[in-house]
Amino acid sequence: MRGQRLNKILLYNEGADQALNIEEIAEYLRKKLAKVGVEVRGDPFAFYLLQNKILDYARRIASIKIQEATRRMVFGQEPLYGEIEYEKRRILGKTRAFGILYDGLELQRIFWELIPGEERRLEFVHIFFTNRLFATWEESDKRYHARTSVYGMPSIISTTGVVEAPAKPREYYLLKQQYEMLRRDLLELKDAFKGRFIDYEDERLTEVMKGYAMQAVFYSVLGEPFCEDKGCRLYNAHWQEELIFAQLGSEYEFCPRHTKFLEDEEWALRR
Amino acid sequence: MGIEEIEVKEDKTIEELIDELGLSSSPILLELNGEIFYPDENYDKRLKAGDIVAVIRIVAGG
Repeated sequence: MRGQRLNKILLYNEGADQALNIEEIAEYLRKKLAKVGVEVRGDPFAFYLLQNKILDYARRIASIKIQEATRRMVFGQEPLYGEIEYEKRRILGKTRAFGILYDGLELQRIFWELIPGEERRLEFVHIFFTNRLFATWEESDKRYHARTSVYGMPSIISTTGVVEAPAKPREYYLLKQQYEMLRRDLLELKDAFKGRFIDYEDERLTEVMKGYAMQAVFYSVLGEPFCEDKGCRLYNAHWQEELIFAQLGSEYEFCPRHTKFLEDEEWALRR
Repeated sequence: MGIEEIEVKEDKTIEELIDELGLSSSPILLELNGEIFYPDENYDKRLKAGDIVAVIRIVAGG
């Protein structure tokens, strides 16, 4: 198993959940990928964006909001003034996006423009951690599906997506319906299922995100971020219980095939 | 596999290559001579016979 050579991994924090410790993820990557440079760049808008472009980016991000999960968006429509202003405040770090669903591919494309031309190469792994919730359209069932990650250039990983995209235990949804009918406090229900799904500001978030960062690395090296082994951190979990097992509960971090690949290090270009 | 290398057999544009591969509506990036780009921003760019183009499929997870 040979792969694309890597030079550097660059980590960005685009308003990710406050429980996320990106420095700890960087340290983890340095240990796993000793021959590859890892750099934490912080807020990509602060790092790259010229002040005179903020309004333009705010308008474009506001225009990729998904209005209905079952209707494929036609982009390019002018967003409302309030939506643009909201996104402007979001870019400037004066508010935190919440309750908005964005088109994941379009969001990735906007983030792509923030990457300098000389770093738009396969040897650079750009990973944006964001708290924006995004979804991608599936032709098979004609609807948007919330996602934890979109791997490309850059790879974007959502700390909100890791809470909302993988399904919670089936019993949770059944009981949730009952709680809503009886107008009971949903926090009680969350407490009853505590630990069985990743929640907002979850203390396990950083550990979980190390695995997603590795999926982004493997995507850049091999073109394939996932592994079929349910105990490997590269497993593409669609259920919270699968996610918790792959990232926290398994007896091993990576399956034998991916462990060997990490040990091999042929693909590391230079530090 | 998310990254596939293709050798261009004869001179053509990026748009012609994408059409030929049936990827015009797929979420992909292309790499040529080390540089990555979105195909629709470079549809008129001409490829030469022998060029190696990497097709990078964008993959969603979770």
